[in-house]
Amino acid sequence: MRVALFSPMPPERSGIADYSALLLPALRARCEIVTVKRGAKRPPRGTDLCVYHIGNNPDAHGWIVEALRRTPGVVVLHDFVLHHLVAGLTIGRRDGHGYLDAMEREGGVVARLLGHAVLDKRIPPLWENRPEDFHLAGEVLDLATGLIVHSRYVRDRARAAGYGGSVWIVPHPAFPVPGVAAADVGGEPLFGTFGNVNASKRVPQLLEAFARVRRRHEASGLLLVGATSPGFDLDRRLQRLGLDGAGLLREGYVDERRLWELMAAADVHVSLRSPTMGETSGTAIRALSLGKPLIVSDVGWFSELPDGVALKVPVDEREVETLTAALELLATRPDVRSAMGAAAHELAQREHDLERVAELYVSAFERAAGGAAVSDGVLREVSEAAATVGITPGSVEARELAARLAEVDLGG
Amino acid sequence: MRIAVLRPQVPFARGGAEIFSDALVEELRVRGHEADSVTVPFKWYPGARVLTQAFLWRLLDLTEADGKRIDMVVATKFPSYLVRHPEKRVWLVHQFRQAYELDRTDLGQFGESPEDRAIRRQVQELDRVALGEASRLFATSQNVAGRLERATGLVAEVMPHPAQELAYRNDGHGDFVLSVNRLDRAKRIDLLVDAAAVEPTLRVVVAGDGPDRSRLEGLARDRGLTGRVRFAGRVPAEELADLYATCFATFYAPVDEDFGLGPYESFLSGKPVITASDAGGPLEVVHDGSTGRVVAPEAAAVAAAVVWLRDHPDEAAAYGRAGHAVAAEVTWDRAIGRLLS
Repeated sequence: MRVALFSPMPPERSGIADYSALLLPALRARCEIVTVKRGAKRPPRGTDLCVYHIGNNPDAHGWIVEALRRTPGVVVLHDFVLHHLVAGLTIGRRDGHGYLDAMEREGGVVARLLGHAVLDKRIPPLWENRPEDFHLAGEVLDLATGLIVHSRYVRDRARAAGYGGSVWIVPHPAFPVPGVAAADVGGEPLFGTFGNVNASKRVPQLLEAFARVRRRHEASGLLLVGATSPGFDLDRRLQRLGLDGAGLLREGYVDERRLWELMAAADVHVSLRSPTMGETSGTAIRALSLGKPLIVSDVGWFSELPDGVALKVPVDEREVETLTAALELLATRPDVRSAMGAAAHELAQREHDLERVAELYVSAFERAAGGAAVSDGVLREVSEAAATVGITPGSVEARELAARLAEVDLGG
Repeated sequence: MRIAVLRPQVPFARGGAEIFSDALVEELRVRGHEADSVTVPFKWYPGARVLTQAFLWRLLDLTEADGKRIDMVVATKFPSYLVRHPEKRVWLVHQFRQAYELDRTDLGQFGESPEDRAIRRQVQELDRVALGEASRLFATSQNVAGRLERATGLVAEVMPHPAQELAYRNDGHGDFVLSVNRLDRAKRIDLLVDAAAVEPTLRVVVAGDGPDRSRLEGLARDRGLTGRVRFAGRVPAEELADLYATCFATFYAPVDEDFGLGPYESFLSGKPVITASDAGGPLEVVHDGSTGRVVAPEAAAVAAAVVWLRDHPDEAAAYGRAGHAVAAEVTWDRAIGRLLS
């Protein structure tokens, strides 16, 4: 069986490119995989199944969406909310009408009018302010012959959006931990948060909670690693909270090696998010691989982490208080940190093991490529046998047969 | 209790799984239960036939029979565990191995077409659903339990099943090595035949029948082993007990076997076992230098091990005694107690 894989690949700088590169050797050990060259519009000859990795970066995924439009196939949906992608593929290409059509498709005339307001710059971009209200995944879902997702959250949202095809949940693979020494950055304990520094990573709330905790734990540190997003005034917020000096350790964008060194140094990883696009956090997966306890927002994929691995902070009016309590607990209880870290490591090895993930991927590929023919064959044989003993379509007996077939996923 | 023991039936074939389920029915009856065997013919080819034949089990209503409730069903191997029952217990002999570890080997069934690949995955899905419904899940060996967990994530309790009822005894260190097994390629009887060709003083008795018999007999003829390698066919119980009692050791080296009753029967006769390092289940009880010999799956290595046991009767007897102690631990009383608890 031959699978054509449409995905960004290194040296392209994208999380999904790294993801695909990590998985590819394990997939190839199980199945013939052809990686399609960036920009190609069709799969190579002899392809049995096309697989499209779709994320929110229009530059990395635009050509993949165009190929999907020509040849439907299985979509690996890395984010459920694709508003940013669609905006990039329409407004970003001076195709305002395309954006309006996408909005209308999802939300009717009212959404189209909102789209006009965005185009006229009367309201802020919806993909920044209200992405969860307009996911704009409709076109991709319509074209997908099957979906591979990383969480129950995304599966449920796809179902709620009316997707009726097969959906396979395949966990994000754990990254192999490179043999690096932890960076010597201080902090006792050291909290770390990794990724873009902005409001959706709940950095303001984290800074406020940490300021409170630091009053009682003067040796504690907060490591903030990642580029600051445009428009996010970190320095002003730091000044207001009196955190411009001791306790805060700031590093901007760092290379992969330095990232691991810093991650290894942190005693607790904080991975907050709201709103969520339905994404799985690569940095949280790294934390699991390193056996680090996590504090996460109680949203989307993050909610599905076992309680023994992550303290979950609801995004509500008491968010800062709850976050403070979580930081406080882990600051004072090294035994809890240690138990959560061990559970995290075990979870990474069991649930996110690369070979297991590859096996689940190939299982999905194989069922997507041949499953319909198999179901048809089974149904034909069962219905022919039923007909010979007088069981007619729509009868009680036929409904029983259908129910039993459905129970074991044989297409009843 | 009223208990139905379930197993698929391949017409005209009988092997360890059939002996096991018949014995289970008998042992349940001995302990006062009303037990019966439920079988459905099974054909697993061509194409999706494995699925439609498996599906037959899903249609059975075994909640009661003739107006009387069936309290429990005990399924033994694929696809009998597809049955629906509120008290479904599974004592797993094996899954449909072609969909798992035998895939893409000479013993596999599924090709590389998308349809074949999907059928294989569908078999795995049937397992996940049907085995996941079991109120208790046992596996006959660590090997079977390990495969199950790797493939489906389901965890089974390991519970070996006792060997068949025979008049086991030890009549001393005889002059031949015995193979008792179904004759198919996966059992690798040819390793023993080739070992006899390597070592001209070896005498071999092969008990059992199966689709590989004519090939094996041809192999023995081609190697000029007529007279030294005897194919006894399927032998009656009394003769089988005699063979066990009078051999000096047994050979049992299938490829990645699920469980393997052979070593237990050998041990109950006080005879050591020669197996291969990739034999799977047997390695849980056959330990090199303790209850037998474990060697590379090569004719020369097998020949050397057989000769060594033949020429070291004291060690062979000691290994046989150690094996007997292992086998004696596996009793129907214990197994049925766990199964029904």
